[in-house]
Amino acid sequence: MAAAVKTLSVAEQIQQLNEARKIVLENASYYDRIVKGILPIIGPTSPVELRRWGAEFLAESLSTPVLNSRDKENLTVAILDTLRLLLESQGEDPLVLKASIIAAASAYPIAMRWIIHNSYHKESWDAMTAIKARILRIWDGAASPVKVCCVKFAQRVVLAQTASNGMEYKTNGLDVSLAMVPPNHPLLDHRLLEAEAAGLLDRMLAVLQDNSSDALLVDATLNCLSILVRSRPSTSNRIMNTVLGFNPLKLANSPMTPKTKVLIKSMEKTTRMLLIHLLKRDPSNALAPRIQQHVERLMRSRAEIFDDSNRKRAYAPPPANEYDNAKRQKVNGDPQQAAPVQVWTPGPQSLAAVFSLTNIMGLQGFDATQVPAALTAKINTKCLASMSPQVLDHAVNTIRTRLATLYALAPPVQPPVLNPDTSPLGVDEDDDDYEPDFYAAEDNEQILNKLDSAPTDKSLIRGPTDVALAPLGPFKLPAPPLVDSQVAAKVGQATSSRVFAPLPSLEEGALRKPKAGINRLAASTYDRDSWLTLITRLATRSAIEDASSSIGIKGEDGAVTTAARATTTPHLSNMIRELLYNYVLEDWRRRIEVAVAWLCEEWYNDQLTKRAGTGAPLHYERWALRLVDGFLSYITAQDKVLTRFLAEIPELSRPLLGRLKALCGDPTKVQLALTSLLYLVMMRPPVREVALDTVAGIWMEYEDARPLASKYLVKWRPGFIESQQQIKAQ
Amino acid sequence: MEAANGATGSSKPPQNGQNEGGSDFKLKFCTVCASNQNRSMEGHLRLAEAKFPVISFGTGSLVRLPGPSITQPNVYKFNETSYDGIYRELEEKDPRLYRANGLLNMLNRNRSIKWGPERWQDWQVGVPRLKHQKDQGSQGMEGGVADIVITCEERCWDAVVDDLLARGSPLNRPVHVINIDIKDNHEEASVGGKAMVDLANSLNKVAAEERDKIGTAAFDGGSAAGRSGFDERVPEVLGDWQERWPKLPATWTLAWF
Repeated sequence: MAAAVKTLSVAEQIQQLNEARKIVLENASYYDRIVKGILPIIGPTSPVELRRWGAEFLAESLSTPVLNSRDKENLTVAILDTLRLLLESQGEDPLVLKASIIAAASAYPIAMRWIIHNSYHKESWDAMTAIKARILRIWDGAASPVKVCCVKFAQRVVLAQTASNGMEYKTNGLDVSLAMVPPNHPLLDHRLLEAEAAGLLDRMLAVLQDNSSDALLVDATLNCLSILVRSRPSTSNRIMNTVLGFNPLKLANSPMTPKTKVLIKSMEKTTRMLLIHLLKRDPSNALAPRIQQHVERLMRSRAEIFDDSNRKRAYAPPPANEYDNAKRQKVNGDPQQAAPVQVWTPGPQSLAAVFSLTNIMGLQGFDATQVPAALTAKINTKCLASMSPQVLDHAVNTIRTRLATLYALAPPVQPPVLNPDTSPLGVDEDDDDYEPDFYAAEDNEQILNKLDSAPTDKSLIRGPTDVALAPLGPFKLPAPPLVDSQVAAKVGQATSSRVFAPLPSLEEGALRKPKAGINRLAASTYDRDSWLTLITRLATRSAIEDASSSIGIKGEDGAVTTAARATTTPHLSNMIRELLYNYVLEDWRRRIEVAVAWLCEEWYNDQLTKRAGTGAPLHYERWALRLVDGFLSYITAQDKVLTRFLAEIPELSRPLLGRLKALCGDPTKVQLALTSLLYLVMMRPPVREVALDTVAGIWMEYEDARPLASKYLVKWRPGFIESQQQIKAQ
Repeated sequence: MEAANGATGSSKPPQNGQNEGGSDFKLKFCTVCASNQNRSMEGHLRLAEAKFPVISFGTGSLVRLPGPSITQPNVYKFNETSYDGIYRELEEKDPRLYRANGLLNMLNRNRSIKWGPERWQDWQVGVPRLKHQKDQGSQGMEGGVADIVITCEERCWDAVVDDLLARGSPLNRPVHVINIDIKDNHEEASVGGKAMVDLANSLNKVAAEERDKIGTAAFDGGSAAGRSGFDERVPEVLGDWQERWPKLPATWTLAWF
């Protein structure tokens, strides 16, 4: 077939190919023959038109839902070599690349299923692995449209190499998962496959993590995550946290061109759709409240960014004389008409009479006490929030005038009523100055107190009981009981534990603004990060600590060591430290940043203390050791987080690194400990010697750790091992 | 193949919608509204007239058409009822009413475009569509996939994107999903149809341009500039289009079949 076609022009060949395609579309049983027949025509040496056609046809053939997986296995095995050649040829046309990568994405799970059942056929898996390696290389430097396809390919690899929960469709290889790989397969190693999948997932999510503004890539990534979250449970937490941390509205800070508008809207809406989609399908998920919150916040921010004119359908006011206006109730009647004109007679008045603002008799007689206080509070808040300021002003003024009238009517036996401070009430013309604030409304409050000598709030909640205008006098709050230090400490303890209460419900700083660096304010936003900053500063710099510790020095004369004193007298800050320590350890792998931030604060505070020379206790070393001890009891060989922790905390001491030495007692953790130390040796020159001493110590102490330790020692402390061996020999 | 019957009427060798380079290249479209009657069908017709391969769907649970009162709509099943059947039924029920409100007119148009309303959620993407040769815009849609999905209402866009997420993107094929907010009445549908053709032409022009860049100066070593492809230029095209059609708010995403 190939030979015959070669003599034709490209256009004629394409026409023939189209005829062939029509045949397979009509009858899928021809796929096998036709695909194999065209492979020689579409190789890397063919004209680009043929390569494009071929790559697109391969992508179509491998993805078509009309073939079952067995047929596709045969096709895939036949195609792999051509696909590999197309992908590996240098300077390939982007359209050919795109289609080839898409074809490879469809081929991957099929090839994997094939090799699971036919492990003798090593060459097909080798070809697939080579294709994978090539695509993962292309991924880095490619233009976005090609990158997008690489992301999709990676998604299929992750899908195939992660354990499934059996929830996916059984078509198109979506069901191929790690669970299908037998444990003793000669070519497929569970752990390697799983590790590769985890790495690829991270690489896919990097675009969200970096808060990229490349909407094409962001959308493409978001739109292929759903099935991973739903059918590959081990990926879902990682994905959800990344998506919740992604801020699609970051671009909004840049100038709004028509294109950026499209991009921002697109990323926001796509993020929101994914979250809603996942929420709908798993409403009982532990993350559901967070997702809900995040979705709402996205919608609010979007509404803020795009003003009303951009919303779906702008409200078009109906023509003024439209008949259906008659149906609409007028809610905001003329406020001037709302209040009844009361005729006051001298003598006692009920509070209800003074404060009623309605003309309707039925409503005036309504017993507000029947409404539960909580409900009343709710109604009030809602009303106040939605009420127009004019109506409120008018109501307040009406009451003011009434009160003034009442005072005028009141018998002159009550001289305090004519208190010069309160008398100008109602004469006040400047209504705008009125603010319903405690200080500004002092006059009003006082009058209320005078009207009712019993606690005002109570009687108001009880409703329109007849309370006589009682004898008036200035109202004073009772003095608060004195607090001694013990009570204060007790209360302080309770308070400090409450400081931690909002943490679980606070959102992560997803909408975090670009990092403000050193100018950052501790708590400029109400998210978890800033709250933690606040807590760490409370712990490290509270005034109570300074006061009590300086007293301690005077009183105890340095007889007690500083560390001991810190533990025996539970200062407020130490209580917070203790709670902070517990907080970090609860989920230390993820809260390592908190620990680092905290230790930085401690270290800074210690430096300040040293400079002040008051001899106050230092905390950094003690808490750093406690934290490390805390982690180390739970650490596993995979916890690279330890390396990071050691790299980031501000100061490292011998005792601290000594803890790492102890870690080497467990042979599985030797590598972790030594890599962490190596990192320190390489990246933190000030502690290089200490770290090397520790490595040397490990070498001497633990037989198991020797091979690795000696590797590092040879490089960084040449001659050490020889000298040791000599000593031994002697 | 299908273009062999001279869709373009040119003397060039006939080519199909999928693979040729150059100016004859046509993107494949899919229009979607709630009932696959008014807005999506207007778009379907206009795009087909502009020689684009096109199919259309509705995302609602049922086909709903206005009845004698707001509480008595005419309801039909997707995929099982033909436009012609609906036309005849309504004509029998109350010819005056349904002529006056434009339903018969619309159905008459629709029955000349394709057999009956199809539901998006029931569409098996990628299954060849060879039995639709009489449908307008069927040329080039034989593969049963589209490059661009245009929805006519935010709700439909949401339904489409949600459905694609639910399907799990088995085909690995990227698809641009674009919403254009069109009110559901005849006048707006007609304006929307024009806007759709404008968008389709703009997108197709860019896509054809990108196809013409054959070879592209060494992909592996090339710089990022000048390597943008069609997909990357979609937001830009849409942004420009939005400036021309400010009353039809648009939303876009790149999803997967």
